[in-house]
Amino acid sequence: MLPRPFDIMQADPREQTLRLFVKVEGRGTALLKSLKPGTEVKITGPLGRPIENFSCSSMAFLVRGAGAAAVVHLAEAAGARGIAVYTILSASAASRIVCRKYLEPVSTELLIATDDGSEGYEGLASDLLGDLLRRKTVDRVYTCGSRRFARYVQRLDREGRINGFVFLEGLMACGMGDCHGCAVPKNGQRGYFLVCRDGPHFPIAEVVL
Amino acid sequence: MIDTSVELAGVTLPNPVLPASGTYEVAEVHAGFFSPSELGAVINKTIFMNPRPGNPPPRIWETPCGMLNAIGIPSEGLERFLADQLPRLRSLGPPVIVSIAGNSIQDWRDLAAAIDRSGSADMIELDLSCPNLEKGFIWAADEAALRRVVTSVVKVTRLPVISKLSPNVRDISEMAVIAERAGTAVVSMINSYQGMAIDIGTRKPILGNITGGLTGPAIRPLAIHGVFTTFKKITVPIIGMGGIATWQNAVEFLLAGATAVAVGTQNFVNPLTMKEVIEGIAGYVEEAGFSSVRDIVGLAQE
Repeated sequence: MLPRPFDIMQADPREQTLRLFVKVEGRGTALLKSLKPGTEVKITGPLGRPIENFSCSSMAFLVRGAGAAAVVHLAEAAGARGIAVYTILSASAASRIVCRKYLEPVSTELLIATDDGSEGYEGLASDLLGDLLRRKTVDRVYTCGSRRFARYVQRLDREGRINGFVFLEGLMACGMGDCHGCAVPKNGQRGYFLVCRDGPHFPIAEVVL
Repeated sequence: MIDTSVELAGVTLPNPVLPASGTYEVAEVHAGFFSPSELGAVINKTIFMNPRPGNPPPRIWETPCGMLNAIGIPSEGLERFLADQLPRLRSLGPPVIVSIAGNSIQDWRDLAAAIDRSGSADMIELDLSCPNLEKGFIWAADEAALRRVVTSVVKVTRLPVISKLSPNVRDISEMAVIAERAGTAVVSMINSYQGMAIDIGTRKPILGNITGGLTGPAIRPLAIHGVFTTFKKITVPIIGMGGIATWQNAVEFLLAGATAVAVGTQNFVNPLTMKEVIEGIAGYVEEAGFSSVRDIVGLAQE
């Protein structure tokens, strides 16, 4: 009954197309998957706060599983502006790595970590980020898809080693700031941000993870 | 052209459709859909005397044909509301209903008096029925508490008072009678039903507040029943709400006896709902050969 929030993975104004990444989790996404080509759907958007500040020379993305979809658009926009893009994809196994074909062409370097070692580094992708930070200058780190990685990036941010940002999800009914469902606790002050209106990306220092 | 206006306690609404409090904010994000100046009335998310952060997440959960929410009414508090939000609502054009809630009788009185003094409100709605507040007390579910709040508030304001009633009672029509006797000028019904959901994986309640309020089409037949049975027992007008998703649903409420209708949860699903409902009601009334929306109020009672 309620609409579902999705990241816009790619937008092509010339072709008038949007590409969304849908991971089937429950009934709503299963219904979306069952749609036949050509079916009309209603979309409300774009919603949320866009990223407009690209004044940096390098960005790293530490993303896990379907969280990779959230950064495709940003990575492409950054790459097009000549910003160095370092992408670290994490998944439980090689078969669960998504969006690689979109991120690879725009990445200066793309690293992979899997829990079972079926591809790339066997272990935590945050190790790869730590290693990257020793080798390269990275201005900003964006993370999505893993609370554990988000906490790691928050720690690096607190230590002043990088500027960290996190893409968050939230159970939301409207996506427009009306229902106040997608609340995220503010760090260091009372109250909540709304993922739909104030996010979905946040300076990682400002939220409680 | 039919007359779409309706009257609530001497206040004329250009049409009978308004948002349910807390489901529609006057904000730029809505600009691409329709202007709030097209609404029958505008209303704020309930304000309290002091700022409140709202409940911890998760705050919402989808259920069959409905949703549970336990938002907990985050609020900027009265002072900020009077300074920022109320002037903005006033500037839109439609009558302004200010929704208030107190934690004590003194709160209710002070809030109502402050809203009256602002000169920027046409009516005051008493949110007596939110099921998601920390102490879990629903004023409108307790006969004595309902009577006391309404009696106290009507003494401190000349503005018409709307009592928003709770369905979490044995008989909502009896609560409406109590509110009328205590001096309310309008009743609005229904607020959400208390409900909850449990995650069978974690074996814990899903909502951060443990319990929540059920809204959406799932509760519509219950709301229609509430309006229908209340209409016969009171003389003050009813604002009907509960699961209105289409103009047909809204017409059902009018036929049951509501003078105006409020759209809540469906605003989240389709941001154009209220505009569609306004147009749909007018079209229905015209096609049925009536000259005014008022002509169909309570027709199902006969």
